[in-house]
Amino acid sequence: MRFETMTEAIGNTPLVRIDPAVHGLRNIDLYAKMELLNPFGSLKDRAAWNMARPLLTQAVERGDTVVELSSGNTAKALAVIAGMHGLTFKSVTNRMKVAEIKDLLLLLGAEIDELPGQAECLDPTDTDDPLTRMYHRLAGSGGGYLHTDQYFNELNVDAHLNGTGPEIVKDLDGRAPDYFIACIGTAGSSTGVAAALRQHNPDVRVVGLVAHKSDFIPGIRTIDEVHEVGLFDPDVYDTVETITADDAIDGLLTLVRRCGTLAGPTGGGAYQGAVRHLRAVDAQLAERRSAVFIVCDRVESYLSYLRERRPELFGRAPRRNSLRTVTDAEVGQAATVDVAEAQRWITERRGLVVDLRSPFAYQALHIDGSINIVDELFAELLHGGLPFGRRQPVLLVCPVGEKSARYAALLTRMGHPDVRSLDGGIIAWRDAGAELVRD
Amino acid sequence: MPLHLSPRIGPELRSALAETVLLAQLSDALGSPLGVVLPQQLTGNVVAFRSVFSAHRLSGQIYYAHKANRSNALVRELAATDAGIDVASLAELQHALGAGFVPQRIVATGPKNQEFLWLAARTGVIVSADSVAELAALAALVRDRSLPRVRVMARLSGFTSAGVQLNSRRSRFGVSVAAASEVLDVIEKHADALDLVGVAFHLDTIGLPEKVVALEGCLGVLDECRRRGLRPWSVDIGGGFGVDYLADGAQWEQYTSALTEAVLGRRAPLTWNGHGYGLRAENGHVRGSLNLYPAHRPISGPAYLDRLLRTTAPEQRRPLGTLLLDNMYDLHVEPGRALLDQCGLVLASVLEVREDANGDTIVRLDCNARDVSLEEHGVLMDPVVVHRTTPAGPGPAGAYLFGNLCLEADLITRRKVFLPSLPRIGDLLAFVNTAGYLMDFSATQALRQPIGRKVALYRDDGAWRWCLDEQYWPVHHPVEAP
Repeated sequence: MRFETMTEAIGNTPLVRIDPAVHGLRNIDLYAKMELLNPFGSLKDRAAWNMARPLLTQAVERGDTVVELSSGNTAKALAVIAGMHGLTFKSVTNRMKVAEIKDLLLLLGAEIDELPGQAECLDPTDTDDPLTRMYHRLAGSGGGYLHTDQYFNELNVDAHLNGTGPEIVKDLDGRAPDYFIACIGTAGSSTGVAAALRQHNPDVRVVGLVAHKSDFIPGIRTIDEVHEVGLFDPDVYDTVETITADDAIDGLLTLVRRCGTLAGPTGGGAYQGAVRHLRAVDAQLAERRSAVFIVCDRVESYLSYLRERRPELFGRAPRRNSLRTVTDAEVGQAATVDVAEAQRWITERRGLVVDLRSPFAYQALHIDGSINIVDELFAELLHGGLPFGRRQPVLLVCPVGEKSARYAALLTRMGHPDVRSLDGGIIAWRDAGAELVRD
Repeated sequence: MPLHLSPRIGPELRSALAETVLLAQLSDALGSPLGVVLPQQLTGNVVAFRSVFSAHRLSGQIYYAHKANRSNALVRELAATDAGIDVASLAELQHALGAGFVPQRIVATGPKNQEFLWLAARTGVIVSADSVAELAALAALVRDRSLPRVRVMARLSGFTSAGVQLNSRRSRFGVSVAAASEVLDVIEKHADALDLVGVAFHLDTIGLPEKVVALEGCLGVLDECRRRGLRPWSVDIGGGFGVDYLADGAQWEQYTSALTEAVLGRRAPLTWNGHGYGLRAENGHVRGSLNLYPAHRPISGPAYLDRLLRTTAPEQRRPLGTLLLDNMYDLHVEPGRALLDQCGLVLASVLEVREDANGDTIVRLDCNARDVSLEEHGVLMDPVVVHRTTPAGPGPAGAYLFGNLCLEADLITRRKVFLPSLPRIGDLLAFVNTAGYLMDFSATQALRQPIGRKVALYRDDGAWRWCLDEQYWPVHHPVEAP
């Protein structure tokens, strides 16, 4: 395959059969449409390119900024496409909840505009949704924007009606699957694919998946939110079912661990929702059926999302000299000095004063002669052993004398014979009127 | 299926509601509506906030935002704790001083006239200044009247974030952080009159990210103070910690989903005249946004403060609580609603129960929408029915609650409320957990209807006792046994 540009690599993704030993369905062949293999990493590459392409020539002439209300894959694809054409991209978002995607967008050179949160005291005049606010902003700016408008743009649906859908039919030897299961985000892919499949077989059953109301699954809307989407038409779906973040992560784990498919939570949710729906059907079946779901994007952008919800997946062996292993009894036995004694100790230059507070706070005001090793860094150093000799007396300083006492206990356990903690910390030092300096 | 929005009721409020005979007597004697405050509940709420401070090893003051309720009893009971008070008018300052707050425990905020500024400066409370002009006026007042040097806080706004542009609603209060140096110039110029003790912000948002940016922005300004040799030691992060009003989050989710469907016309209206609470239908899609208080807020009050302090500051990459402690700063908060959680209820008597022509049940109450301002503040929460005898009919009963003003708009709630059982004339509806902003915040004498009276309900030796709000003090008269 030889291409002139990366956008030519969009689409024509493989349709891969999921091993029946994994899903356990006896009468249904389950296929995954591997949209994660698109060049910018997701299904949204198709819609982004389809929506932006016809407008690019003019936008380049005018030097427009590409703008979209997106906090995920559409923003990512548009940022890449804008960059390829020398344009800037601005993502307007209600709240960007996935840290990696935010960082990736910044890396791609995108600007991110976050809209304000809800008022604590009710303002009855404030009834605008984020989209309306964005329209106002674009209207007020007097041009200069290429707005792809993914929630209302028929070209979003069109990308799947003429791309994703027919590809599935072609790979199933010209037949539409009996079941199509899709998560609903902008509703573009589910609407487009469903229409394409029904052209071949009007009896295709389409299952839409939405997120449980109190859950957040990136790329999937809740049952209330889908009604805000211009492309959403309830008649497209034979049934709309709910999945939870837990379901999505369970499905993701099955796909990444057993199916060689590095899927993100949307793909995981689609898999889990598909198997749950089909399991009920499978028991009644006498002949073979086929089903297709979409793996929307890749897992790597969701590590923080997974870490927050399933910390046990990231369990590591405990590191040595960890502060967490220090007992209260050890802390009780750690040597402490009060402010007056510490002042004498310092004046007589008896040893090293280590201030464990943040660099910012240290630079603002500190005890003259002290050095700054912020506690996180100090903890990291201690995993490797003592960062100073045993003959080097040490006085540890923190805000209230609590952390420094724990570190003093840890250093004592590590074999340091001459370490002490400032009782009451630098706050007691200040309150006693002792001198603080800044450089 | 009835769409209940059952209020979260703590043990003290539940016990008070069980005193049905007492509640009926109070209503008969003092009229409807009747505000009932539970001052002793405040003490526990102060302790809950204080425990967040201790968990983060932080010092600082919890200033009750007086504006949340005009009650005397609440302020006097609070004076008996270690909390402070945030006053936003001359009368609130007078009230706080008279209730037993020494000036060290009072901060004066909000828009101020000359009299308010003078009394604040004269008594030596902290003045949280809104603008450079206010600081200059205060300095002139101090000099002209030979007043002692005044402790001031500078309220900031318009915080900006790096990388991601985090937008906040425009505020009418505070000096833009970009112009903070002008504030410091004024303070340095009037060093004999003004003693800068800290910086402050209050953002009207439930959004944590905006507050994170604001708090880190304050740290930056405090650093600028230190560079100049000023020594302020505190940050006041205002209020907005919120209350969880509902007992069951699933009910909130069911209700809001049903409301969306009703707006789209897919089910019968849930509201008077199809009111959409900010939502509207356009071509089969929902537009607008739900303009309601998020009544189900599992992370609210002290837990919200804890969450904020645990959040990592984007620039300095350390939890905000740790940064405050590192810098030896005191943290001040100004909760109103959150401190008054479970501290009161409004009783209204039922004047009429009828079915109107299209089958809706109407319950008309002897109070108006200003006396129980659930609608004004967008809080959707069911009242509790206090029967004098037996229910008029089995529940649940879907009803619209009408007020006593001769105005079309005077509905206590614009949604159909599903009462657990149908009340009779003379029964009472108790609107619980309304002490914070929802009691008589904007009560008026329009149509010469009276503003409801207020009583304090308190425990003495385990038993419930009551007195008029203005007669309550946190020392209770001993009753000699016969």
